[in-house]
Amino acid sequence: MEGKTKILLVDDDQDLVDILTMVMEGRNYEVVSAKDASQALSQAEAERPDLIVLDVMMPEATEGFHVVWDLRSRKETYFQDVPIIMLTAIHEATPLRFYPDSGDGTYSPGEYLPVQGFVDKPVEPEILLKELERVLAISSGSR
Amino acid sequence: MDGGKPEHSIPEKPRALPATEVLIGRLGWLIRLRWVAVGGSLFFVEVARRVLPIHIYFSQIFTVLGMLALYNMILGLVLRRVRRGGVGDSGNGSGGEGEESVGGVARFILPRTLPGVEYYDSKAAQAALLAGAQIGFDLFFLALLLHFAGGIENPLRVFFLFHIIIASILLSRQATYVVATAGLVFLSAVALGEFWGILPHYALEGHWRLDGYLDPGLVGAQLFLLGVTLFVAAYLASSIAARLRRRELDVVVLSRYLADKTESLEATCAELSAAEEAKSQYMRKVAHELRGPLGTIRTALTVVLEMMPETVAEKTLDLIRRAHRRAGELADITQELLSLSRAKGGRAVADFTLVEPAVLARHAMERLEFRAEEAGVSLSAEVEGELPAILGDPEGLGDLLANLLGNAVRYTPKGGSATLRVHGVGGRLVMEVEDTGIGIPKEDLPRIFDEFFRSKVAREFAPDGSGLGMAIVKAVLEHHEGSISVESAPGEGTRVRVEIPFEFDL
Repeated sequence: MEGKTKILLVDDDQDLVDILTMVMEGRNYEVVSAKDASQALSQAEAERPDLIVLDVMMPEATEGFHVVWDLRSRKETYFQDVPIIMLTAIHEATPLRFYPDSGDGTYSPGEYLPVQGFVDKPVEPEILLKELERVLAISSGSR
Repeated sequence: MDGGKPEHSIPEKPRALPATEVLIGRLGWLIRLRWVAVGGSLFFVEVARRVLPIHIYFSQIFTVLGMLALYNMILGLVLRRVRRGGVGDSGNGSGGEGEESVGGVARFILPRTLPGVEYYDSKAAQAALLAGAQIGFDLFFLALLLHFAGGIENPLRVFFLFHIIIASILLSRQATYVVATAGLVFLSAVALGEFWGILPHYALEGHWRLDGYLDPGLVGAQLFLLGVTLFVAAYLASSIAARLRRRELDVVVLSRYLADKTESLEATCAELSAAEEAKSQYMRKVAHELRGPLGTIRTALTVVLEMMPETVAEKTLDLIRRAHRRAGELADITQELLSLSRAKGGRAVADFTLVEPAVLARHAMERLEFRAEEAGVSLSAEVEGELPAILGDPEGLGDLLANLLGNAVRYTPKGGSATLRVHGVGGRLVMEVEDTGIGIPKEDLPRIFDEFFRSKVAREFAPDGSGLGMAIVKAVLEHHEGSISVESAPGEGTRVRVEIPFEFDL
């Protein structure tokens, strides 16, 4: 691998994006960002990040999930493999399902969301950094 | 806001007292009664022939009884057709629109109803005519029997009273008087017909006077007394029947009134719960909106505190630490508001899943471990092995246990202990949290489930805390058909016991 590890950070809260960018850049990651689902998809295509940090909620309640499904259902292996860490407020009252709808075609119903990690909101910087290291270690090991 | 119809069905307004059914039922009774009369007459005639020293005109009497039996059989068939839904009208008897469909004659015959109470349907008209006709025919047959059994001299004449009583039960008051009049007419026809020689006289030869039917004084007196008896009986019996009927109608009116009241109560109830739901949703929205910015503030402060403390002066750092802590408290409160609104909004029961009590307990313990250590409270759990899974909302149940344990830790002084016990008792999951904490004053116990309530002792001992924890516990329990009991001794500790059925009717 050449140079820095590139991370795509997706969140609609620009302040949080700036803060987390600062945190991750402080650990020598290269950070690109997106603030909604369509930007996230085009950035993923253009930048080919080594890892995506994705907010679950974003403006629409399930946008983060849709990004995951969109990426994972593409033919190219890069999109199926790129590790994703979800930023969640896991204790939040949501009707969210962490597994796909049946009929989606790509994943059988009941299968869990195909992401590699979760980080609770409000984000503790240290926890995010640890999770980044953990996921990156696994994904680079598997390649 | 439109409360909408409550989901469970309101019982239909009680139908008009099923007067028609009652009437038809009584007609059936009348037919059975007539069979008894036929049988009784046969028996009596047979006994009279053997015991009484009188001559009886068997062939005539048997002919009359035979006709009566035939007539009764036909009536039975007709009644069966009326029961099934009307004679002659396209089978739509029972659905009639109240009194309009009841014709003039029928209206005269049927007992009165209260204004505004539909009491009869079109079937009733047929039943009414049938009742009137029957009683008329019965009077005729009785007169015939009387005629063949000695006329006015026979004590059988008092049997006309029975018809008056029957009429008063089945028919209106005016119809009862008509029946009394008809009875008197038939009696007079027999008595006067024989007196004037228009009808032959079948004398009961034997001990009786044989010329009584020719005595104008006797005939006149008999007819007069019988007439008075019939009309007095008509008056008395129909008065009693009218009073009973009015009472019946009162019951109908009352039950209508109650049904209306129930309906409006249920509507109010639905509106209230819709308002409650709206409140919950509002709360959820507000809390949700607060969370995002709060989380970002806290994360920003954390970054300063943990990653770049050297960039600010120590005094500034102290201020940031305080801000960080208070932002954390605020985040906790919004978190609890969210939990409460979720528990109250009640996740759809359809979303319930099987929850392992052991896993539930372990997660709650993990959530509290750090705080317990910080507070110097020893935290332990005793969980019965092999407990069946419970059907419920995992997040709600998690919040419930975390809140109970959180309270135990928060209100227990350093060095104390908090224990979680989970076991099954008779189809119910029992979760107990016991602590050696400050306890709850007796007078505050009833209020601990109120939102935002915190007892004075609690506030003094632990300034932070939203006062929402027990409200969340209560809301989750209501959603799971569970129950809770709290025992507490101020200064010694508190024991909270929660029970949830493993299975309940969805």
